[in-house]
Amino acid sequence: MGPSEHREGGRHPRLVRPYVLTRGRTHVPGPLMALEAGVRRVGETNAFPVGAPPESRRIVDLCESPMSLAEVAARMFLPIGVVRVLVGDLVGAGVVAVDDPHLVEHATDVQLLERLLDGIRAL
Amino acid sequence: MASALFDHVRAPAPPVAMKIVVAGGFAVGKTTFIGSISEIEPLRTEAEMTVESLGVDRSGQVGKSGTTVAMDFGRITLGTDMVLYMFGTPGQDRFWFLWDELVRGAVGGVVLVDTRRVAECFAAVDYFEALGIPFVVAANMFDGVATHHPRAVREALAVPANVPIVLCDARRKTHVQETLVLLVESALRRAQKAAV
Repeated sequence: MGPSEHREGGRHPRLVRPYVLTRGRTHVPGPLMALEAGVRRVGETNAFPVGAPPESRRIVDLCESPMSLAEVAARMFLPIGVVRVLVGDLVGAGVVAVDDPHLVEHATDVQLLERLLDGIRAL
Repeated sequence: MASALFDHVRAPAPPVAMKIVVAGGFAVGKTTFIGSISEIEPLRTEAEMTVESLGVDRSGQVGKSGTTVAMDFGRITLGTDMVLYMFGTPGQDRFWFLWDELVRGAVGGVVLVDTRRVAECFAAVDYFEALGIPFVVAANMFDGVATHHPRAVREALAVPANVPIVLCDARRKTHVQETLVLLVESALRRAQKAAV
């Protein structure tokens, strides 16, 4: 088992292989969610997907106020790919919504770049 | 007025997201750079390396699962409705495939250079040039000392004159801030030119 020896930082090794949580699925239907996509809880539903692991409930709790997919993954100590599948299931069940961050359009928008510049200068 | 019915449940519009990528060789100070200005402690997230994206790894094994690459990121809230994400690229060249996802939609890139190991950032410079996205070169002043003049760094990297080069102590917020200002100014000029 070579991979973990390259892992940086002092995190303890996982006891369970991450894709066990997704029952082996590495993809969900639909467009790939961006790292910066905002995940947020919607409605009051408790209709959790059948067979959802406890991690799914923690994702919903984390996203009480919107949080980027990357940040959800980091706070859950799970790889991005696993979180994409779990979030995809939650979207399918209507428990969370994912907002497309429209980064490509924003990156060349003159007005937004001006606001970004002002914002950084004001830090 | 059907929409009024839903006003009480409508969520506020999500903040506008922007992204800057921080690249450079291994242990050049990317996470320090991000941490100096991020409002959260830089977070580490992992992505799985897949067979399709890497082919055969160095040991010649195919389909080895569970290998992960780590990238660090931070976040800054600007005003009431804008969030800037800063992602550090994984330090090793063999993880280039991840860059495409990281760089998609980025305003631009910061290439951090250790002036004692300039060659390690060539790959990052090449990548941003090939993609045609704005970038700045920031020569990290380890120990707070400028060991090289920016002109010498420019010559060593052979970057065009329109790429800003700045000396930067990645531990100092004001230096990081100034580097980001230079980058966004550069991106803004380009966007203004394209809009004409």
